[in-house]
Amino acid sequence: MAIIELTDISKSYNDTQVINNISFSVNQGEIFGLLGPNGAGKTTILRMLLDIITSDSGSIKVFDSTPDYAAKDRIGYLPEERGLYKTTKITDHLVYLAQLKGIPKKQAQEKAEYLLRLIEMYEHKEKKVEELSKGMQQKIQFIAAIIHDPDIIVVDEPFSGLDPVNTKLIINILLEQKKAGKTIILSTHIMEQVQTLCDRILMINKGSVVLYDTVDRIRKKYRKNLKNNSVILEFDGSVDAFSGLDCIRKVIEHDTFVELILQDADDIQPLLEELIKRVEIIRFEQTTPSLNDIFIEIVEGGITE
Amino acid sequence: MVLLNRSLIVARFEFLKIVKRKQFLLITFGFPIFFLLIMAIPMMANLMVFDDDPDLKSIGYIDQTGLFNLSSKNTAGSQVIVSVKKINESIEFIQYTGNEEAEKAIISKTISSYIIIPDDYLQNGTIELYSTNSGFDFQEMELSAQLSEIIITTLLTDKVDDDTLGRIIEPVDMKLFTIDTVGDVKEKGISDIIGDFALPFITGMLLIITIFSASGYLLRGVAEEKETRVIEIILSSLTPRELLTGKIIGLGCVGLLQITIWISIGTMGSIYVLPVVIKPLVLLLAFVYFILGFLLFASIMAGVGAISGSMQEAQQLVGIFTFIAIAPMMFMQVLITKPDGAISTFLSLFPLTSPVAMMSRIAVSDVPVYQIAASILILIVSVYFVIILSSRLFRVGLLMYGKRPDIRTIVQYMR
Repeated sequence: MAIIELTDISKSYNDTQVINNISFSVNQGEIFGLLGPNGAGKTTILRMLLDIITSDSGSIKVFDSTPDYAAKDRIGYLPEERGLYKTTKITDHLVYLAQLKGIPKKQAQEKAEYLLRLIEMYEHKEKKVEELSKGMQQKIQFIAAIIHDPDIIVVDEPFSGLDPVNTKLIINILLEQKKAGKTIILSTHIMEQVQTLCDRILMINKGSVVLYDTVDRIRKKYRKNLKNNSVILEFDGSVDAFSGLDCIRKVIEHDTFVELILQDADDIQPLLEELIKRVEIIRFEQTTPSLNDIFIEIVEGGITE
Repeated sequence: MVLLNRSLIVARFEFLKIVKRKQFLLITFGFPIFFLLIMAIPMMANLMVFDDDPDLKSIGYIDQTGLFNLSSKNTAGSQVIVSVKKINESIEFIQYTGNEEAEKAIISKTISSYIIIPDDYLQNGTIELYSTNSGFDFQEMELSAQLSEIIITTLLTDKVDDDTLGRIIEPVDMKLFTIDTVGDVKEKGISDIIGDFALPFITGMLLIITIFSASGYLLRGVAEEKETRVIEIILSSLTPRELLTGKIIGLGCVGLLQITIWISIGTMGSIYVLPVVIKPLVLLLAFVYFILGFLLFASIMAGVGAISGSMQEAQQLVGIFTFIAIAPMMFMQVLITKPDGAISTFLSLFPLTSPVAMMSRIAVSDVPVYQIAASILILIVSVYFVIILSSRLFRVGLLMYGKRPDIRTIVQYMR
């Protein structure tokens, strides 16, 4: 069931078209990835969803109606451009932001304490923001986005500046939220995370949609489209076995396997048939392009869907 | 209802954020203390002078005319002692017969200086003063005034009666009376005179300081929110207009609190110092002008804060408005001496200067009611338009980081 629906959205600033006729929908309970290079228009889309700015044309529906007050209160937003009042105590900060979302003060205080424990920062609750490290501030900003228990969580580059331990902590919280039925929109340019976290993605470039599907289907599709001509091979035998095979351009030896770079992607099937005769094969795998490869290919090569 | 609710949350947060700051407490309570100290130190110094036994200062004189006996006048004329006391000293005159004798006395520090009354004194009035002091000495001017009094007395004694002599020495002692609208005559006391000058000045100062400190907080707040990017999080919860409303309410309350504290301290202080009575109507008008003046400047500051890229840039942009707002203080003399003149009337109608200028006029004269009404009306209309303009700037400016929009872009937003 679609919880957010954008139809034919366009937006321009001072004669510059930033968003060009974009349509997509986000289903309830999924983690939806919004991808694209810097300046593609991701933040503009998120701001329109939150009614911070309005679109020039097209329609936006959140919870089946145009974005309004009630909708704003049910969305949690972690902007990419974010900060905190430097001289304010972090508890006061969290309570204030929760109150602005319509949560009564007492409830907000309890929730703030709960979340501070969850991100292992309870002992810092009386500190001022300026006394915290940048990573700690990031975590505070993150819980500020979910303190009012929103149905939709919009996070823009949530992991920037976080170390791997804290990145994992935030990922776990997001997965918990998903399990609880929340819808998550994740905007980022780090593809590994998208690949493991997102159910579906929308990739935009220069204000237009270039990809819009599930992660698996996209990778499957681009396995053929991309010039993917490398094979991972684990085998019993000697590297000499590859001599005389013209289709292999290069052999890269790793500890437990070799990577074979072929002249052409079409050579994969004939190669397998030939190798079976020569060595004992343990693993033969055609590498699937990562989202990162696809992303770069699209941005640089200008592929459109 | 929802709108006001959120704005009130913002207002409360902004109010507490400022009031809890050490700087706020320092300014609010430090300012009156500083002011009292400035008033009190010269007073205390004066009191100490009168308490102490004055040092005796010796001045030599050579009288070539043979007409004057300053030594005896010194002990007889009490006037001399009083006027000299102002400079913390009393003068003793010692007569010498020749220059050499007097010079020796100076070198041996018996005297600090000496005067010569030449034999042609009666023809041209020249008296010569010799001293080791090479710079300008205020005491020498005092001495001149004092000598005049001694010489007048010496020359005219026995020629005119005592009353006439008194009038020649001090011809005019002006007493001031005011006639009010029903024809009652009242003598102006010293407290009235001080009230006339001090009250408008103090009221003006308080209004300016309060309006500017409160709207300054607003400017800093908005610029800080932009700079630290808090603004983006805030705007996902409420509209720019709610944010602006909340900030103005919150910081307006900060200003009101500050001015209330100052007026209370001032009133308590004035009970001891001067019986200056502030009329309730004047207080009400001061309140109205404060609110309107604050709204006007706060909205301007908010708009400026929203379009500027950093705190520093915001302060530069605001400078021009600060200058205009301070204008009434520069024209204070005109406002007090010619409260109904063209300049005073203009300043009290022009919205950026009217709060201070009108309060000053009200304090010193009976301003026609229609002028007060016109000035308030002009202010209200200006506030209305500035708020509309500012909240548009606020809305667009808030999310533009880094660079300030140029005039063309700003005009585009205004439409």
